Amino acid sequence: MLIAYLYGELNEKETEKLERYFAQYPDELVKLHGLGEVHELISHVQDKEVIAPPVFVDDASIKPLWRSPYVKFAMGIAASILFLLVAGKILGPEINYANGELRISFGKKVEKVVPPNLTENQVREMISSSLSKSNEELAATRSEDQKKLMQTLVDFNSKKIDAMTKNVSQASQEQVRSFVSNLQEQNLKLMKDYFQLSTADQKKYMENLLVDFSGYLQEQRKQDLQFVQSKVNYLERNNNQFKQETEQILTGLISNAGSKKNVY
Amino acid sequence: MAETLLDIAMMHSDTLIARAREGDKNAQGKLVQLWYKRIYNFSYKFFFDHDMAMEVSQKTFISMHKNLSGLQEIERFKSWLYTIAVNCCREEVRKKKTMRSFSLNDLNQEREESYRWEESHHRNENPERVMRQSELSDLLQSCLMQLSPEQREVVIMKEYEGLKFREIATALNVSENTVKSRMYYGLNSLKKIFEQQKITKDTIGYEL
Repeated sequence: MLIAYLYGELNEKETEKLERYFAQYPDELVKLHGLGEVHELISHVQDKEVIAPPVFVDDASIKPLWRSPYVKFAMGIAASILFLLVAGKILGPEINYANGELRISFGKKVEKVVPPNLTENQVREMISSSLSKSNEELAATRSEDQKKLMQTLVDFNSKKIDAMTKNVSQASQEQVRSFVSNLQEQNLKLMKDYFQLSTADQKKYMENLLVDFSGYLQEQRKQDLQFVQSKVNYLERNNNQFKQETEQILTGLISNAGSKKNVY
Repeated sequence: MAETLLDIAMMHSDTLIARAREGDKNAQGKLVQLWYKRIYNFSYKFFFDHDMAMEVSQKTFISMHKNLSGLQEIERFKSWLYTIAVNCCREEVRKKKTMRSFSLNDLNQEREESYRWEESHHRNENPERVMRQSELSDLLQSCLMQLSPEQREVVIMKEYEGLKFREIATALNVSENTVKSRMYYGLNSLKKIFEQQKITKDTIGYEL
């Protein structure tokens, strides 16, 4: 109400009422004066000068009839119906409802081939007759295959044996003898070579063994001589040392004996 | 004198609005000419930025052109137009929050003075006095910018656009009491800001 009074938006009645209120409460009037001062101060903010730009209005809002959403919707429905009609013409659909069954079919009607009514016995007979027929056919083909197999085996074996006997009969007695003598000669030669080779090897081995043994003996003798020589040298050194020690002892004894005489 | 004529034209623009609503392009153009300055100044005071004010003004009139045919009551045109302007301002505020940028014009404020002098309609007056008025206007405008957007839009609509509380309530789609309350708190906040900055009637009188 205070604000409305400040901006003069109160009617006469309300203004009078508020003025009476201000008479009773002068503090509120002071407050109002404060706000009035602010109102006066901010009125010094100037407006900026601006030139309105030229206006260009396009006609984008005016759409042709065929672009309106209603026409588009109607055209969509029409296109769907047309599509269904064309598809129906091409596929020839048929819709039937019979015995609580809805049936939708396309194309020409195919006549069902209904088999004649048969009794259980007839069916059994048909099955057993077809089974026996197939068994007979199987047995016949099996026996035929067995015969063929036997025939091929016999043919193959007889051909092989015939070829071998033919080769043997063709060889003469002289050829057999020459073959055997050749075999004997080859064996003999083989044995000779073996023995010759083994004796030569043994000889060579023994010679090497003897040479090695003599070398060993020579070496042993040399080492023994060196050992003996070193021992003799050692004895000689000991002997010399012993001699020197005895000489020292003797000279010691002699000198001691001379000194004792002087004391007495 | 020219402004008064403009105001009279705006007061009697019902026929113009009716013609514009029916699709008269000439009437639509005249409506823009009539209201452009008001919408620009509203946006300028809201943002204290020329570019933003231009942007909001353009968007407001584009939206007006698109939606004018849907306006039911011609008498409500003024508050309807300010509703569009406020919505555009709020949209720009949202954009500004997400985009961190600054105007290059802010860098050379001094150079802008000569342009502002040229564009001023007071250029036949005493240049020194006009310059002081301009500085004072900017100072008060910067105080206005310290208000919250809700209080600022109400203060601008009431103080500078001369809308009634009822019209502001319609434009902002809030109750009249809410508008009065925002106005009251807005003025109180401005009073405190003026006190802090030592802006009084006497100092302004001295400046002018």
